[in-house]
Amino acid sequence: MNKTVFWLDEALKRLLIGLMATIVLVVCWQVVSRFILGEPSSMTEEISRTLLLWIGMLGAALAYRTGQHLGLDILTSKFSPQWQRRVAILLTALVVLFALAVMVGGGGALVQLTFELNQMSAALGIRVAWIYLALPLAGFLIAFYGVCQLICLWRGDTLTPTGGCE
Amino acid sequence: SKPEEQVLTLRMAHTLDQEHVVHKAMVKLAERLDHYSHGTMKIRIYSGGQLGSERELIELLQIGSLALTKVSAAPLEGFAPNMQLFSVPYVFRDEQQLWQVLQGEIGQELLAELSPVRLKGLGYYDAGSRSFYTTNKKISTPADLAGQKFRVPNSQTAVQMVQTLGGAATPVDWGELYTALQQGVVDGAENNPPSFYLSRHYELSKYYVLDEHTAVPDVILMSQHIWNSLTAEQQGWLQQAFADSQVWQREAWQAQTKDALDKVKAAGVEVIYPDKQPFIDAVQPLHQALKDTPVGALMAKIAAMPATVAPVPLAPVTASPATAPAAQEKPHE
Amino acid sequence: MEMSALVLLGIFFVLLFLNVPISFCIGLATLGTMLLSMDVLPALTTLAQRMAGGLNSFALLAIPFFVLSGLLMGRGGIAKRLIECAMALVGALPGGLALVNVLSCMLFGAISGSAVAATSAIGSFMLPEMKKQGYDDSYSAAVTAAAATTGMLIPPSNIMIVYAIASGGVSIAALFVAGYLPGILLGVALMIVCAGYARVKGYPVGARLPLKLVVSKIAAAVPSLLMIIVVIGGIIKGAFTATEAGAIAVVYSFVLAVLVYKEVAWADLGKILLKSTETTAIVLALIATSAAMSWILSYENIPQSISTGLLALSENPIIILLIINLILLVVGAFMDMTPAVLIFTPIFLPVAVELGVSPLHFGIMMILNLSIGLVSPPVGSVLFVACAVAKVKLEQMIKPLLPMYAAMIVVLLLVTYVPAISEWLPSVVGL
Ligand code: NA
Ligand code: NA
Repeated sequence: MNKTVFWLDEALKRLLIGLMATIVLVVCWQVVSRFILGEPSSMTEEISRTLLLWIGMLGAALAYRTGQHLGLDILTSKFSPQWQRRVAILLTALVVLFALAVMVGGGGALVQLTFELNQMSAALGIRVAWIYLALPLAGFLIAFYGVCQLICLWRGDTLTPTGGCE
Repeated sequence: SKPEEQVLTLRMAHTLDQEHVVHKAMVKLAERLDHYSHGTMKIRIYSGGQLGSERELIELLQIGSLALTKVSAAPLEGFAPNMQLFSVPYVFRDEQQLWQVLQGEIGQELLAELSPVRLKGLGYYDAGSRSFYTTNKKISTPADLAGQKFRVPNSQTAVQMVQTLGGAATPVDWGELYTALQQGVVDGAENNPPSFYLSRHYELSKYYVLDEHTAVPDVILMSQHIWNSLTAEQQGWLQQAFADSQVWQREAWQAQTKDALDKVKAAGVEVIYPDKQPFIDAVQPLHQALKDTPVGALMAKIAAMPATVAPVPLAPVTASPATAPAAQEKPHE
Repeated sequence: MEMSALVLLGIFFVLLFLNVPISFCIGLATLGTMLLSMDVLPALTTLAQRMAGGLNSFALLAIPFFVLSGLLMGRGGIAKRLIECAMALVGALPGGLALVNVLSCMLFGAISGSAVAATSAIGSFMLPEMKKQGYDDSYSAAVTAAAATTGMLIPPSNIMIVYAIASGGVSIAALFVAGYLPGILLGVALMIVCAGYARVKGYPVGARLPLKLVVSKIAAAVPSLLMIIVVIGGIIKGAFTATEAGAIAVVYSFVLAVLVYKEVAWADLGKILLKSTETTAIVLALIATSAAMSWILSYENIPQSISTGLLALSENPIIILLIINLILLVVGAFMDMTPAVLIFTPIFLPVAVELGVSPLHFGIMMILNLSIGLVSPPVGSVLFVACAVAKVKLEQMIKPLLPMYAAMIVVLLLVTYVPAISEWLPSVVGL
């Protein structure tokens, strides 16, 4: 588990850095193409909206991995360690279920629907399915990290930043 | 009224304002359906894009979580390629020919092409002709479009049309267009007079040039899945109710178009009536490029249609179902 | 209340109090509600589609950009120059350093979109200084936290972009301009509190700097402050959108931080980009699931029934606005600002509009209200960051925060009942 989690983390981080740098450049290009070249680009907007969806979804997976999503622990922090662990197992399983059902299942159905019915995007002329692919992909990552967390919780540990249980 | 469990509620969403004549036509559709079904079928209408953009609403029909929608034929091109026909500029000689095509064989075939993508096309509403409006630059010939960025609907053909005329095009959601015009993301857009007026875009626009480049009708769509779940009788009621609303809508549209033009003029927008020939000439490369495509074949068929003198009857061509309980009633009161 | 509303709120609050990440709470509550009226597969697919639809907005792109430029400014020597400028301006008044702290937060807020960024950037410079001069750590942290919230109102502001999207079309440019007066009003109110507190506690007054030094300190901050003119001026003039302004802010702060001041190394850029994607993704995940939630709210007609219920309580706009403010203060105590704006805008805005309150005015009122929540226990991101930077316990910060809450609530009441505070400036510049 250690190695897989570690390499997945690294790959995800690099991909996100690349996407973020690209999106800045794309919007800067939009400004430049309008002000300096006088020929507004018609594709930058759709490209950047697509990148935003990918950054949002994959970033959410990374934020789940690093435990940065906002939550409320005022109640659970009063539980005994044993109960904290039980609740954590239950709720991690719920998050995995959400990722699998909604993001992989629902998002996957959406990708399949737009792919089979051959829906094309307006400005880029690419399949809408490629845009929606961000959902099942991110859902799979969240589910994977969730399952790793569950394995650790089951042993009475938590998932560490390097990918092992401690 | 009926006990709730016997009532079938169909959810219908669109992106227009409640003041829009097309919204009112949908209210009419709901009323007629209620009437024909003796209160057993209702339509709940969600206006103003609260359930999503046109493209998203079409997807919701395919998914099956929404029953009905009204979309422009333009975004349908991403789902059924031949719908591109309507986004090609200057295909129809005049309005009369447009309706001959819509209510005739070609129009019905185009609706049938939606069925493989899980959509049932109930029919068309009038959406007039689309023309350019701009915030700063006066347009009277195609050359004036140079260096201007126009919002177009989600359609590649619309992008190409503006580019062929010499402008730049970008698809922006209709709901975000007011802000986009205000912030200068786009220098103009194009639409029919009622939409130009009701969207309040005229507040931000100085010029409206009636070049009438495209006539993109509205299409009433139903989820094929939900359509199939209806009985033949229910389907008949729905068809008949739609036909009634269509007759009402076409008359109301004419009135609203005239009214909208008067109002934008009164608000200080300069309305320009240009010579259309330079625009028609300018888009010929686009027509040439489509020559050997299925859309090109449709265009040739339309061009070969004889000019008729008799007005196209307002009554729909679709046969009214024999089971409709009050078929002989006047369609609009 | 209707069944669907009960299911939605029930699932949401149970999961919230069990420490499920809020974006998942919203997603799961939405799913539960959808399953009441749809089959499983359409419900799952619709939910996925609405999540993607929620992010399909060009305006939203401004958020990652303002987060990224905020990070570059915080680490790139810009915060330091702003503090020195504030010191030159107000350091010699009673409560000197506390005033400097407030003004620095306002200046930083005027070029960055996030209050958390202001708290950590200004706090990490100001708190050691204040400690040296004998200020209590907990008091200094309280000042920083409260003052950082002015950056929510003073543009650019990420939360205003979120509100503009949730409200379905309020102009971001108009919101930005509308925030200046309330933001400055809040800053001034906090400064008055600080000056009074300093008198009581006998905190030291800074030495008056020679005029030459004052001028040079202000001059050093000019390149940073120039960004206000480039970014906000460009948006107001209509030269570019808030999103494009965000990209320009990134380039501008990159040039200052990396090329001019050289306080951020090229090698650090990857880390900064990654940090900004993480921060942004938390907000985007919330926006995605809340978009699905507001869809099911509309689908089930819930906002209309809540609106009808609220309006049945009273016909008096003053009372209804008071009720809305009280509800939002409670919400803000428990929930972070972004989810609160996303969840409650579609519910309360129709009520406010019914009462004749403009969406612009309502937005400013709601953002100011929830800004108080950012520094109120038990959950407040700015409060948490301030505690972390100052290394003090949350409980210790409550007492020094009390007079600041009072100042914030006075400003909130002014903003609520005097629409001109929000609406006058936008009308002057023609927005
Ligand atoms: Na700000
Ligand atoms: Na709070």
